[in-house]
Amino acid sequence: MDPTEIRLKLKETMIAELNLEGKTPESIDDEAPLFGEGLGLDSLDALQLAMSIEEQFGVRIPEGDEARPIFRSVQSIVEHIVKVKASAA
Amino acid sequence: MRIWVTGIGIVSPLGRSATVTMDRLLAGDRAFGPIRLFRVPDARVDIAAEIPGLSPVGVAPPGEEAGWSRTDTMAVLAAREALAEAGLSGSGRTVDLVTGGTTAGMFETEDLLAQLARDPRAMAPLEQMLSHPLSATGDRLASAAGPFRRIRTLCSACSSGANAVVLAAAWLRSGASSCVLAGAADGLCRLTFAGFGALAALDPEACRPFDRRRHGLNLGEGAAYLVLETEAHARARGASPLVELYGYAVGAEAHHITHPEADGRTAARVMAAALRRAGLAPADLGYVNAHGTATPLNDAMEAAALRLCLGDATERVPVSSTKGAIGHTLGAAGAIEAAITALVIRRQMLPPTRGLEEIDPECNLNHVLEARPARVRAALSSSFGFGGADTVLILGEPEVFAPSLDERRLSVVLTGGATVGPLGVLGSGPSADYLGAAPPLEKGGPIAFDAAQHLEIARARRLDRSGRLVTAAIQAALREARVTVSAEQAPQMGALVGSSFGSVDASTAFMCRVYEKGAKFASPADFPNLVPSSPVGHASIYLGLRGIVFAMSDLGASAEAAITTAAELVCAGEADLVAAGSVEEASAVVERIFGPLCSQIVDRGERGEGAAIVVVEPEALARRRGAPIAARLTAATSFRGAGDGTELRSLPPPTPRSLVVSGREEPRLAALLAASSWATVPRAVAAPRSGDHEGAGGFALVAALGALAAGTHDQVLCVGLAPDRVYVLLLEADAPPTSPRAAG
Repeated sequence: MDPTEIRLKLKETMIAELNLEGKTPESIDDEAPLFGEGLGLDSLDALQLAMSIEEQFGVRIPEGDEARPIFRSVQSIVEHIVKVKASAA
Repeated sequence: MRIWVTGIGIVSPLGRSATVTMDRLLAGDRAFGPIRLFRVPDARVDIAAEIPGLSPVGVAPPGEEAGWSRTDTMAVLAAREALAEAGLSGSGRTVDLVTGGTTAGMFETEDLLAQLARDPRAMAPLEQMLSHPLSATGDRLASAAGPFRRIRTLCSACSSGANAVVLAAAWLRSGASSCVLAGAADGLCRLTFAGFGALAALDPEACRPFDRRRHGLNLGEGAAYLVLETEAHARARGASPLVELYGYAVGAEAHHITHPEADGRTAARVMAAALRRAGLAPADLGYVNAHGTATPLNDAMEAAALRLCLGDATERVPVSSTKGAIGHTLGAAGAIEAAITALVIRRQMLPPTRGLEEIDPECNLNHVLEARPARVRAALSSSFGFGGADTVLILGEPEVFAPSLDERRLSVVLTGGATVGPLGVLGSGPSADYLGAAPPLEKGGPIAFDAAQHLEIARARRLDRSGRLVTAAIQAALREARVTVSAEQAPQMGALVGSSFGSVDASTAFMCRVYEKGAKFASPADFPNLVPSSPVGHASIYLGLRGIVFAMSDLGASAEAAITTAAELVCAGEADLVAAGSVEEASAVVERIFGPLCSQIVDRGERGEGAAIVVVEPEALARRRGAPIAARLTAATSFRGAGDGTELRSLPPPTPRSLVVSGREEPRLAALLAASSWATVPRAVAAPRSGDHEGAGGFALVAALGALAAGTHDQVLCVGLAPDRVYVLLLEADAPPTSPRAAG
């Protein structure tokens, strides 16, 4: 799976799992912050997203402060997934 | 007036009586250990505070054990202890019951539900399913610790037990009751265990409330009941008080489904309101039993709230959380902690917060680290539930302070209504079509409802179907009642929503994932929506209602239960406005199993769904704000059993334009009315048009408002029937149109 495919699948997962009705993968900015402003997600979403990423991609998101830089944006999550997958391969 | 507590019963992981529980709390014992009851695959936590060796054998009537849950068993044991201490066991005196909880028979049925989800043809042992509805515990209490005249089952998640005490107090203040057994029970189950795990809220070690290293809660289980009665009733029967209920207050944060407000603003407001009602100053408090779950967010919020409320007295008032010893007993916690608070006052001994070693600077309070004697004339107990349902009780030594509670009996009106059903989102006027003008439905099943047309979808994204249906219904009903929710009035505006079985399909789906994929794939976002109070909690958040908010369950009469209870709370002055009704979802499991088995809704084709809400207010306030008075509620009564006919004798005689409405066609309705002057009054039922489900009675009530407004009727008797329970509400037009003769 290349980063473009991962990005699309991640956005689709987010829309389904976080109930972002009315959003499309194209309407989610790769670099926009996920929490606070931007998509306006909160820590309950972060838990749901971490669970879904592990389920969909087999990639674990670390807990606590380590998760923060990964959950900055769609792009940073994609980079984390690519990195973990590469090191596992 | 004074309200006295004359009996206390506790079944906890530390012991099966109030005395043993308190002795062991003071000894510093902790009840945590490896869970023996169940195994959740891949769970990272394996400890909880379990009640060992609990069995319905010898507690349940012989032969009925298979239909009893552990929750039922602990409830009955605690209730019997409380009634015995009060000298009420087998006394033949009239006692009413309020019971709270969240899980009921979930532990006994979650396996079966998952089996059914995998193979819909699987034959489940149906007897065990009887324990599933939240209202089952009240039924077991009635059969094994009763009888009780009136029974209500409520849920506000982790403040359920405290709200049971609040409803009991409202009944005593309005004269609806003289003596009430109030409390709650909640048994451990895989669902709550996997759910709190998914929220990363469980500590894998014994928990540490208010500690710098706190990591989350441990789950516990238990039950507690208190006998509350008016001073006059107690004196008349020669009973002496254990403690006195001086004050209480309820408020909703309207903030977030799982996160408490960081600054503790609402919790502090509710604490201050309870103290004000008790006529006490913070310095009068000798003890605070904190909610103290040991989650990072709760304890910081609660400490902030206590500092705001106690002010200068913060350094002097001792605080402890007993969850460090018995874990978080969820729906039972508010009742268990009210009982413990009462025992602290009785014994003048403070139990410690076990697990607390390094006080978090964020949680700086006068923490009790070791059991010690203290002078406690009055004490405060806080409870906070999912969705931000905050309740505070203030107990004290009897007759030490001036009588604080007032008797109050306000007349009650309905100022609006709405339904979300097969005909769309309708106000009460067009809802009258559900009684006959619309063609009967050809089939039931899900209704067409486009949430985006009625709700801001971005703000409503966490609401499941029930949450959306009921939020749209409350919003429409408030609009009809010409209510704008202002910051100033919101704390006096509440909501009560009934549902017979809660989110059965979603709970089943949640557990199927856990069974199939393991605990780490339990959905943290779905879990909060499984607690029975989730739809009303979400509605409170979405609409900004910050008063009394809870869910109710009473089989096929949940709407009637919620609306009657709302009227009782408004009558006692507990709120300036309550939106009340029910929501039911189309559900294959309810249609095939719970309907036929529990609410006796059977063989009537596909089960429908929908929400129906009325707005209940004190008449004086409604008139002051110039609200449209859709109906005056001139009688409301509820009772168990078939009734003996006397219950309806106090009703005024029908007029030529009276109508009797009910949710569903019920042969028992004719029998019930036969002995009254209402036997020959025309009848109408909602279910053929609203859809056949447990909330059809709510549709009948809203439709009744429409019929009154249209002038076709001037008096509507709404009768809610479900197995073993009856609700009767009489709605009358505000200004009956003058008859031609009188006008001439």
